[in-house]
Amino acid sequence: MKISILAFGKIAEIAGKSQWEEIPVQDTDSLRKKLENDFPALQNMSYRIAINKQIIHCNQPIQSSCEIALLPPFSGG
Amino acid sequence: MIKIHPNTVFINGAISPAWIANAIQSHHTQKHTGGHSIFLGQVRMDIIDNKPVEAIEYTTYTEMAIDALQLMCTELEKKYALDAIQVNHSLGIVNAGEICLFVFTSAKHRRAAVDACTELVERIKAELPVWGREIFSDQTHSWKENKN
Repeated sequence: MKISILAFGKIAEIAGKSQWEEIPVQDTDSLRKKLENDFPALQNMSYRIAINKQIIHCNQPIQSSCEIALLPPFSGG
Repeated sequence: MIKIHPNTVFINGAISPAWIANAIQSHHTQKHTGGHSIFLGQVRMDIIDNKPVEAIEYTTYTEMAIDALQLMCTELEKKYALDAIQVNHSLGIVNAGEICLFVFTSAKHRRAAVDACTELVERIKAELPVWGREIFSDQTHSWKENKN
């Protein structure tokens, strides 16, 4: 099983894609580490992670069926 | 309970004055309402590194945005005893000077309508997953970030 990643705004630009799959990682801290290794520009920006559309506020376990979204700072309105 | 209609929140391109007039007209059936408050967000021609912003291109995470808006509307409806709420946000390209956000609140009395509208705009800025790519005339861009 893989986990599905959605990227938005500046993160989609940095990654060069807005949707992809990752091999399972244990938790969101591990995912951040993996992503920041793959896309070093992420190290210099703030972004939040949502699991199944809920923004998380601390390290959370990742289930293989969940949808992970990478959210740069919002700029609507 | 006021329900957000997922297919009608986001509008492709700028929100036109004629469209806004129609939106106002559509709320006239609420006869017990005493006040409406409206906020219109406009794309501002910010100057960044000496370059004026010509347009903003908006994108969203639709499913999360609809959930977030529904939560805001449910909470504000209860807090201010609102009769109606309408929110529309542009997606895609909106030129500087054009409208990109329409927020409309109705209540029995003016104070509730005005306060709810102000609070809803603040929450949209902070909680709605929408991203704006500021486009300059030389086709370079920067990513906007809302300030608190």
